[in-house]
Amino acid sequence: MVKVTIDGIEIEIPKGTTVIQAAEQAGIEIPRYCYHPGLSIVGVCRICLVEIERMPKLQVACYTPATEGMVVHTNTEQVLEARQAVMEFLLVNHPLDCPVCDQAGECWLQNFYMQHALHDSRMFENKVKKSKALQIGPNVMLDSERCILCSRCVRFCDEISKSNELGIFNRGDRAELQPYPGTELDNDYSGNTIDICPVGALTDRDFRFRTRVWYLSETESICPGCSTGCNINVHHNDQRTYKAGGSRVSRLKPRYNPDVNEWWMCDAGRYGFTHVDADSRILAPTRSIGEEQEMSWGEAASEIMTKLREVISVHGKESVGVILSPQMTNEDLFVARRFFRDGLGLKHIDFEVAPLTTGAKDDFLIKADKNPNTAGARLLGVGARQGSGMTVAEMLEAARKRKLRALYICHHDLANGFAVDVVEEALTAQDLVVFQGPNTNSTSALAHYVLPAAAFVEKTGSFTNYAERVQMIHTAVTPLGESKADWQIFRSLAKEAAISVPYFEAEDVFQALTAEVEAFSGLPYAGLAGQGIALRDGQALPESETVVA
Amino acid sequence: MINVHDKHKPLTFIEKTYLPAIVSGVLLTSRHFFVNLTRHILRAFGVKLKNMAAVTIQYPEFLRPLFPRLRTMHRLTRREDGTPRCVACMMCETVCPAKCIYIIADEKLENPQIEKMPRSFDIDLGLCVFCGYCVEACPEDAIRMDTGILEISNYTRNGMILDLETMLSLEPMSSRYVQYDRGGEVVSADYIDERHRSDA
Amino acid sequence: MTESIGIVLGKLAFVLLFVLNFGGVLTWVERKQSALMQDRIGANRAAIFGFRAIGLFHGIADAVKMFTKESFRPANAEKFIFTLAPAISVFFALIGFAVIPFGDKLLLGGTEINLQLAPLNVGVLYLFAVAGMAVYGVVLGAWASRNNYALLGGLRAAAQMISYEVALGVSIFGCIMIYQTVDLQEIVRWQGGYWGGWLPAWGVFLQPVGFILFLTVGIAETKRIPFDAPEGESEIIGYNLEYSGMGFGMFLLTDFIETVMIAAITVTLFFGGWQVPYLMPDGFHFPWGGTVELANWAVAILQVVSFTFKVIFFLWLQMTIRWTLPRFRYDQIMRLGWKYLLPISLANIVITGFLILMLK
Ligand code: SF4
Ligand code: SF4
Ligand code: SF4
Ligand code: SF4
Repeated sequence: MVKVTIDGIEIEIPKGTTVIQAAEQAGIEIPRYCYHPGLSIVGVCRICLVEIERMPKLQVACYTPATEGMVVHTNTEQVLEARQAVMEFLLVNHPLDCPVCDQAGECWLQNFYMQHALHDSRMFENKVKKSKALQIGPNVMLDSERCILCSRCVRFCDEISKSNELGIFNRGDRAELQPYPGTELDNDYSGNTIDICPVGALTDRDFRFRTRVWYLSETESICPGCSTGCNINVHHNDQRTYKAGGSRVSRLKPRYNPDVNEWWMCDAGRYGFTHVDADSRILAPTRSIGEEQEMSWGEAASEIMTKLREVISVHGKESVGVILSPQMTNEDLFVARRFFRDGLGLKHIDFEVAPLTTGAKDDFLIKADKNPNTAGARLLGVGARQGSGMTVAEMLEAARKRKLRALYICHHDLANGFAVDVVEEALTAQDLVVFQGPNTNSTSALAHYVLPAAAFVEKTGSFTNYAERVQMIHTAVTPLGESKADWQIFRSLAKEAAISVPYFEAEDVFQALTAEVEAFSGLPYAGLAGQGIALRDGQALPESETVVA
Repeated sequence: MINVHDKHKPLTFIEKTYLPAIVSGVLLTSRHFFVNLTRHILRAFGVKLKNMAAVTIQYPEFLRPLFPRLRTMHRLTRREDGTPRCVACMMCETVCPAKCIYIIADEKLENPQIEKMPRSFDIDLGLCVFCGYCVEACPEDAIRMDTGILEISNYTRNGMILDLETMLSLEPMSSRYVQYDRGGEVVSADYIDERHRSDA
Repeated sequence: MTESIGIVLGKLAFVLLFVLNFGGVLTWVERKQSALMQDRIGANRAAIFGFRAIGLFHGIADAVKMFTKESFRPANAEKFIFTLAPAISVFFALIGFAVIPFGDKLLLGGTEINLQLAPLNVGVLYLFAVAGMAVYGVVLGAWASRNNYALLGGLRAAAQMISYEVALGVSIFGCIMIYQTVDLQEIVRWQGGYWGGWLPAWGVFLQPVGFILFLTVGIAETKRIPFDAPEGESEIIGYNLEYSGMGFGMFLLTDFIETVMIAAITVTLFFGGWQVPYLMPDGFHFPWGGTVELANWAVAILQVVSFTFKVIFFLWLQMTIRWTLPRFRYDQIMRLGWKYLLPISLANIVITGFLILMLK
């Protein structure tokens, strides 16, 4: 431990900490462009200059390790002047693109200009022209003129994605960021370069010109793209709903969580939210026997329950199969369990359709299991492997032979795990098929009743990731059309069946869940927000254990 | 201590009855009444008078001259090639207190130097409060409120919405109608006569 | 002395036409006078065959508009009373004129015609009774609309009109004590005398305070600016809120008729009614000794014309006041009525009585 004094504040920090980190701990903000806590330190932007007593010149705070007794000033006239000079220097060839630049509003050049510079331009020379609007990858757009050559993106590609696509070429004012000749910025994590680029040099092709960032609101959530459960912020557009064809969710951004994803997320997750505003969204409960007809929730619940009771009374409880989904939250699954298993006394309940190991994976963030809540479903015991009922495959087989007469399918597209004709044969042999989910798919097309479930941005709940960390998603936008959270749908069905589901908020469900399910016992609801809580001290399970193919 | 000075003199008893004030008020208004009545009658008999009996301008036969900086219906300015100067930066949309500007941006494919342009640009004049903030906020001098068009009415709400094409097609109000000297005095205002003639 | 039915009907027609036309023309006068007072031109667009007649057709246009507009009735309104209320208003405003004398006696082919519709010997009391009924139309209309704003307006109207009725009655006690009669025709005849041989013995000279009080209270009774808290069309909205078409028109007309009414009563009580100075039943007798002989019919015509002109003057005065003063606040109206006008009227009675005793 060493003791340093920064702007009069004395703090104790571990040896080897840099001045910029020490200042952060002391609550002092030192401007930075090239420094990023997740990347190596290069000290090229020079905006973080500070005055250190007994050192003749200003030092870069990002590179200088704090030593015992060091006295740092971040606010002296000399420092401020230096910052202003660096800003002026950075802006010498910077284009006045803010009106058309997607970064405007969250741009560190704009912010630091307002905070530290506010100078008038002294340049008469023409600005150096470089390439603009260059598509350097499937997701990223490059504007070299706006680049301040901080090299964050270069370091990211070298150190994090380890794909080495980017480099800085030429020298002086003609130095320019470019992908290496013949390569594209095309790796599984390329979107992160957009996040870390402090200016508008790297922008998102998907987000390009959709809206302006100051129209967006932010809601904390969890990426539902795989079982890693990267922490994200959902950026949604509530104010100007006419933008971008009316899509409410504009983009997803990673949220720092040192135990899960640090600062990063993969591109598949980042751009995997389009189903939320897609045309395939189911908007109202629909009966599709004969003619398709929309109905109210009350009608739908009573009709479905009548038919379900009919099947049970004629063919017995063994004749009904329920296929839940690891896309559903712990709360959804818990209410499903209470309703189907405890309430109706059904036996055949499972949640695994596609084999969970076949997806693409790497040893950084991307997991083969593309569901956010497989661990939760398993802990809640709603799988065939945890109970004694049939697996989905067995259910379909039984359904084909008309041993099963009713199927209740949540979210899944069965065609992902089984041959189309098998599914079709099985479903058409049923007396009742109910599909519940946010979007239509080949399975919903075969269902007798289709119920609209809220998408992950439209509900509050929790996911349990592969390492059994319970993390919360929050309602970012109101459910589209008539859709409701899955557990609320189960609640309305349960009401018809006179089964008590006495919960009004997701929190009520969670409290009941912690009281009833041992794996979750004692989890404080309030503690879930932010970084979540690990059920087993953050110890990741070996991948093989999560696999139940 | 704050000293509050009551600037009002206490009223005398007579003043408190308000009768003197009422009488003087009635006298003032009746003077106008009789003077104007006399003038009207004299004019009706063809007597030329120096003073007008009324300050009324008979709209719509006659129009007041417009000051050049008067805020009137919006228009969008054009580049030399006729495309909008607007780059869909949405500054105006953001600053608009009435939230009546609706812009959807598009890529300007033919010119990467400009990059961005509006695909659609609507202003709902039914909501607009004519504050002119949009003009102030625009970094491109792309929107102006100098068309001189004041008669904005329609039979439907949708008819109140200006779209991109309409706003691009509008021209600034013709300066030949009104000229002002530096003090803002009208030097020549044949605007009144122009309109009158074209209406007759 | 009984008059034939024909003569009564003739007088009735004369009075009704007189009053209603005044009411109608007042809508035009109001616009034009206010315009002149404010250096404007006023309504001048309504035209027949391109002929504009200085806006006179606006009255007709208004009437056509009122009659052709939908007479909307709110769904929850008290149907019968809602429809009846404007009629009540107009009715009680009109019947007051029955006792107003507009001339002395006309001899026509041997019959003596009293130029007064109903020669009641309790004319003043009748007027009070009728004025007291005026509030019903307003309050019923407001209540039957089933609209809280209208009801509030109606409450304001009721409070104002009832308060001012007290002062209205008390303010003319002084006159009655002097005239010693409540028969309006007699009151006018009383004012035919002269003081010092030349000053007409009009009530205004005997009761200046009474006159001012009566005029103030009278204007308040018409519910027009500065006492228009019950209506307040532009901001606080009033009892006639739910009325449209002719229902609204009738309320409007009531206001104008009441204006004429107040002018007529003022003239009758304080300005010698139909009296023309120095005109005796057989012609002019000037104080400086000159005489002009006139036939009875000529005298009668002069009297009617005199009465008309006096009424017109007070209409003008009321219009001028209406377009000069701003509206009183409700509490100010109440304070003025109860704390100033009423005590002053009472004091007026006491002083008048004292003076009468002294001079006897
Ligand atoms: S990078 Fe920042 S300063 Fe540069 S044009 Fe974009 S918003 Fe403006
Ligand atoms: S593109 Fe952005 S992150 Fe990369 S060097 Fe330039 S400014 Fe830095
Ligand atoms: S004038 Fe004001 S209210 Fe109207 S569009 Fe412009 S900013 Fe909006
Ligand atoms: S501020 Fe100007 S350039 Fe920007 S969107 Fe509005 S009109 Fe277009």
